Amino acid sequence: MLGKLLKHEFRATARIMGPLYLVLIALSICANLSIRILDSSPAAALTVLGAILLAAFGLAVTGTVIVAVALMVNRFRTNLMGDEGYIMFTLPVSVDQLVVSKIIVSTVWFIATAAAVLVSALITAFRIEYVEKAVEMISELIRITPGLQALKGAAVIVEVLVLAVTACASFSLLFYAAMSIGHSFSNHKKLLSVVFFFVIQFVMQTAGSLVILASGTLFKPWFSGDIGIIPSVHRALWLAVLYVLIRGAIYYIVTRIMLKKHLNLE
Amino acid sequence: MPIFECRDLDKSFGQVRALDGVNISIEPGRIVGLLGPNGSGKTTLMKLANGLLTPSGGELLINGSAPDRNTRAIVSYLPERTCIPLWMSAGQLLDFYRDFYTDFRRDAAEKMFGRLGIPLKQKVKQMSKGTREKAQLILVMSRRAGLYLLDEPIGGVDPAARDFILDTVISNYNPEAAVVISTHIISDVEKVLDEVYFINRGEIVLHDSVDAIREEKGMSVDALFREVFKC
Repeated sequence: MLGKLLKHEFRATARIMGPLYLVLIALSICANLSIRILDSSPAAALTVLGAILLAAFGLAVTGTVIVAVALMVNRFRTNLMGDEGYIMFTLPVSVDQLVVSKIIVSTVWFIATAAAVLVSALITAFRIEYVEKAVEMISELIRITPGLQALKGAAVIVEVLVLAVTACASFSLLFYAAMSIGHSFSNHKKLLSVVFFFVIQFVMQTAGSLVILASGTLFKPWFSGDIGIIPSVHRALWLAVLYVLIRGAIYYIVTRIMLKKHLNLE
Repeated sequence: MPIFECRDLDKSFGQVRALDGVNISIEPGRIVGLLGPNGSGKTTLMKLANGLLTPSGGELLINGSAPDRNTRAIVSYLPERTCIPLWMSAGQLLDFYRDFYTDFRRDAAEKMFGRLGIPLKQKVKQMSKGTREKAQLILVMSRRAGLYLLDEPIGGVDPAARDFILDTVISNYNPEAAVVISTHIISDVEKVLDEVYFINRGEIVLHDSVDAIREEKGMSVDALFREVFKC
């Protein structure tokens, strides 16, 4: 059933994100041409046009990121907490499957958005000589920094990706927890969701700071002595993943309890 | 075994008691009216039966089990409000129901959409309010469910639409299933009912078969309702 939920959730969201990525790519091509015009043309009118297209690309990047976050929030609010909740919560699926499907789809769109922004930035800046220079610079950097070779590039990339995925999921869950609490009240559901968003964030930041302070001695041996910089980087990344996972788990438990025991659809 | 049963069921919202010691037992094959004025607790009971609310006391059983994902597979629920996603097309709605309910009869639903003149490519947001309500009813009644829970299916619609709704219910429900229709509009619906529960201020105040009401009390269900709930 999770697969079917994912299928319909992707169907509901792709109709918004797909065209947005196409607009982003199209604007990045325009921005690339604009840069060339700005570099080469002395004509004032063309310069203004180029600057406008470049600004439009900047706005499109910002807009795409905002839409990805807004879509994550809106899908949970309308599809589960709004009228559509009458259909979704009466499907023969569990609350866990409903929440997990939302987390997976949001996370995929966050990662896809990051990839789309990266690709469009590359398109905007694309010139053969830039790519050649970048490859030269990276090769030189690796050659002159022995530590970078020992970092095991692939391992660090995997660790950073795991951290990014868990951070995206935890970020979505923070919103889900706040909305599931806010919508359990009879009135002012949206306002209370916003209030609980800040309350949860404040509580978690405070608790997180206290835990980090208290556990300073616990993890000190991990980073002291002669273990070197490289193993420390790996350990720091995995600790960050663990911290994000714990936060996400807390948000998930809150969301699950509220949806199972205190669901209060209008 | 009853397909739908409430035993001393209570539901409170803070200090407000929405349901108070409700006892109901409905056998398969019966069409039952849950009749009461606005605010009597009908929708609360329907929500509890679908697991959208949790009881404060007592128990509610669907085919012997508390509402969960397994009972939802045999319950076909029509909420009091229209809640089909606006962005979907009629065809996507059929895909959605077919994917989640193994008892969904896509061909039957498609035929009913055709009779109403709803093209499969038409988006829900392009439909009128009345057409959306009918489309939602068609989806609910196209399932071969064990229990149909219809919350105010004829509330706020014109008489012609009421006939369409009742015809759709009667000609499509699984005869081995039970149908519970909650409403405060009695005259149109009483002709299809086998038995009725009268509910007022969260309590069941009367339970009888429609035939017994007519024979023993010598009046229609509508007339009895007006007498019981006289202001």
